[in-house]
Amino acid sequence: MQAGEESQVVEEAPPETTKPRPKRRGRVTVFDNWCKGCGLCVAFCPRKVFELGPEGHPVVAHEERCTACNWCVYHCPDFAIVVELVEGDEPARKTGQSVGGRVRR
Amino acid sequence: MATQRQLIYDYLRHKKKFPNIWCAGCGIGIVMGAIIRAVDELGYDKNQVAMISGIGCSGRMPVYLDFYTMHTTHGRALSFATGLKLARPELKIIVVMGDGDALAIGGNHFIHTARRNIDLTAIVINNATYGMTGGQYSPTTPQHMLATTAPYGNIEQDFPICELAQVCGAAFVARSTVYHVEELQGYIEQGLEKKGFALIEAVSYCHTTYGRLNRLGSAVDMMRALKENSVTRQTAEKLPPEELQGKIVRGIFVDREVPEYTQLYQKIIERAQSGGKA
Repeated sequence: MQAGEESQVVEEAPPETTKPRPKRRGRVTVFDNWCKGCGLCVAFCPRKVFELGPEGHPVVAHEERCTACNWCVYHCPDFAIVVELVEGDEPARKTGQSVGGRVRR
Repeated sequence: MATQRQLIYDYLRHKKKFPNIWCAGCGIGIVMGAIIRAVDELGYDKNQVAMISGIGCSGRMPVYLDFYTMHTTHGRALSFATGLKLARPELKIIVVMGDGDALAIGGNHFIHTARRNIDLTAIVINNATYGMTGGQYSPTTPQHMLATTAPYGNIEQDFPICELAQVCGAAFVARSTVYHVEELQGYIEQGLEKKGFALIEAVSYCHTTYGRLNRLGSAVDMMRALKENSVTRQTAEKLPPEELQGKIVRGIFVDREVPEYTQLYQKIIERAQSGGKA
């Protein structure tokens, strides 16, 4: 039953997007009181989720593109970005994956 | 793995000290994130971890982290850490230093701590300048680059940190950049697990002083330069030496078993207490 439910979720792509919806989705929050507007997340996000806002802070403009890769979370020097995984999706980093020569538990 | 929100609540002094004082886009915050994720991934109790720093931009790091912390004198972070390790050998000790702190003011302490092979994890954040005091040239400023104390270019050769630690006898030596932060986190985890002196060089940048003087652009440009100018050790071995000029070589340089200082010291204590017989 559970496997059938999961495959149904994957098929529910929004009709307006041409690309298939990412398997993992993230909910992105930017804390403006900690952000200093360095622009690293805007420049380097692989899915171009952020846009520069009027005050120089990033604005989450295209949250639907986010795959919860956590690039912005890991590279934000001010701890101002939180990406939460949409319920039911798989976490970005699987166990057993080797990062920096060390295998994840 | 804990979520970012949990990490902030668990490991940062988030109610008192934030936002941090570092310039917008500074790599030190990225290294700090890698450290707390490494500690969380290894499952250490935060009351088992002590963080010690010297003076400089990186010296501010213990202010933000909720471990046992010490903010010590310039260059002497490793000396304080040695004393703490001998008094409390069960603690996991992380020492954070800048390049000037570790190699110029504390150069003597650095080579002798590596030689003793005492069980510490030293992280040297290398931004090639003295950022906090206004961009003077440091021992790791590359030759011919400008600094406020070298307006016609630095004529000194730069210090190879990893090679230095290697010949001094460190048990674990690795280098990564703040762009490759997951790799850096992996090295920090390996360094923390290693019995012996572990040195991790985190190549960062200073766009406020060094970058502005040398016209290297903003934090984004300097981060992109780290991405483009770094190669892994495996790739570097295949490249001809002229192509390696100016490249940052990432990877593990040393991972060896060397007798550890506190264990040897404990044996001496036992021997002395038994009247020198054992």
